Amino acid sequence: MRDNTLKYLLVLPAVVVVFATAIWPLIEAARLSFTVGRLNRPGSLEQYLGWENYTWAFLEEPAFWNSVWVTAVYTILTVGLTTIMALGLALLLAPGGRLRSSAQTLLILPFAMSPALIGVSFRFMFNPEFGLFDAFFGVLIPPLADVSWLADPNLAFAVVVMADVWGWIPFLTLVLIGGLASVPRDTVEAAQVDGASGWRVFRDITLPQLGPVLAVVIILKSIFSLKTFDQVFMLTNGGPGTATQTLSHYIYFNGMKYGQIGYSAAVAWLMVIPMIFLTYAYAKFVFRKN
Amino acid sequence: MTGRQRKQFWRAVHAALILVAMFVMLVPIVWIFLAAFKTHVDVYQLKLFFTPTLENFGIVFDDPYRLGQKLFNSTIVALVTVVIAIPIATLAAYSFSRFSMRGETMMLVIILATQFVPAVVIILPFFVMFRDIGLLDTRVGLILVNLAIVMPFAIWMIKGFIDGIPMDTEEAAMVDGSSRLQVIRNIVLPMAAPGLLTSGIFCFIIAWNEFLFALILTNKEAVTLPIGLALFKGEEGDLWNLLSAAGIIIMAPMFVLALMIRKYFVQGMTMGAVR
Repeated sequence: MRDNTLKYLLVLPAVVVVFATAIWPLIEAARLSFTVGRLNRPGSLEQYLGWENYTWAFLEEPAFWNSVWVTAVYTILTVGLTTIMALGLALLLAPGGRLRSSAQTLLILPFAMSPALIGVSFRFMFNPEFGLFDAFFGVLIPPLADVSWLADPNLAFAVVVMADVWGWIPFLTLVLIGGLASVPRDTVEAAQVDGASGWRVFRDITLPQLGPVLAVVIILKSIFSLKTFDQVFMLTNGGPGTATQTLSHYIYFNGMKYGQIGYSAAVAWLMVIPMIFLTYAYAKFVFRKN
Repeated sequence: MTGRQRKQFWRAVHAALILVAMFVMLVPIVWIFLAAFKTHVDVYQLKLFFTPTLENFGIVFDDPYRLGQKLFNSTIVALVTVVIAIPIATLAAYSFSRFSMRGETMMLVIILATQFVPAVVIILPFFVMFRDIGLLDTRVGLILVNLAIVMPFAIWMIKGFIDGIPMDTEEAAMVDGSSRLQVIRNIVLPMAAPGLLTSGIFCFIIAWNEFLFALILTNKEAVTLPIGLALFKGEEGDLWNLLSAAGIIIMAPMFVLALMIRKYFVQGMTMGAVR
């Protein structure tokens, strides 16, 4: 067989799978978003009502805007905190040595942990009676000694953010260690000989060199933060009230608990839009490399 | 302080900071490991020293929890997903790596993009379809949707490995009269084998830990381990000793697998954006 035909045949199965498992559901979700779409009402999945699901979300549903707000704050906080803390840790580990190699090995573990399990473990750690972190914060900040973290809207939000940051710091740290290793050593040494302070070396040499890697991890982390579901479901299930209800959780609840497939498909599509921009930005970095 | 003392001081601070960071990273994991060996009395106290017991591991496999069934489901679903995904991804990755095609960049971007589509979007139409054709609460259904999250990682990761294999041997074999398919089978596959194994393990971990699809699609027969965690809610709240024992069963095998592929972890997660 000629290579010219073969090359298309080789990608065909993969294209079929990707189409069936990702593209088709996207298109079908778009169609559903224009229907009445009630799970318990036969025929309503073919009953079209135009843009009504979308206008309903925008105009009639404070809970939708609440989840948009929660997701936005959550994304900004988790991306910012994870990036800053991972950068700090990467700088600590960059010089190498025995500690670094054992640290790097340990940093793999949270990736292997199911996000659902991370949610469970943080619910455990912040239990008001026997939670270790609860006790720790109680000693450190006395006003927090007797609070029930997951019962307070703001504190529950803080716990959800902490669980996310805890789970993602390792991955970002490992990426940034790799990025730091590619900062040319002679430039850094030359600057140090010239009497530049540690901070100036970091600001004027390390940070600009790290720029592209930093951009990649920030985009990637933003995508994962926007999608967050597992931990939230296990940790707070969106509560108390709707204080920690992310968009994914809101869609899940409307679609699966209330059976409003049409409406939740509309909200789901609203969520895809920021993803398209982020993916575009991410793809630019990937292809610049190749 | 003299210059040398100061240097030693900062070195100690540096090491201490790293140790504190490692401690914080490990505490939630260690705490689960400890709780799994505590009795249902000890687990409700903030105890560091206790008499360990193995009874929790027995209980979770017994009625009504029957974690063994979930363990079986998780293993089958993750394994079959990988066994389907890796060969398909390998063929595509080879083609993407060695040939230039019309619309190649477009295809690669779309494959990349599917990874970023929120899982909750993908699952809505699948739920409706599976309900109509009777695939709800089956392992087959779960495997089909799991392919959606695994494929993009597999293709991009394997492409990275094949890109790293020099083309000379292939070209020499072609000159000697081998066909392209023979070249793939006899030369590329053996050389890419470690990479394929790495990608397979990576995808296995992702499929094993998958939560949202299983939550929506299963309720009794095909329930996987992460969903099984929800079982351990008693009348008076969470049964932490049992939750922890189940937690160990979920994460311990993945720790072993993750350590095996730790060098490729970053490359896999970023799909080639960072090497």
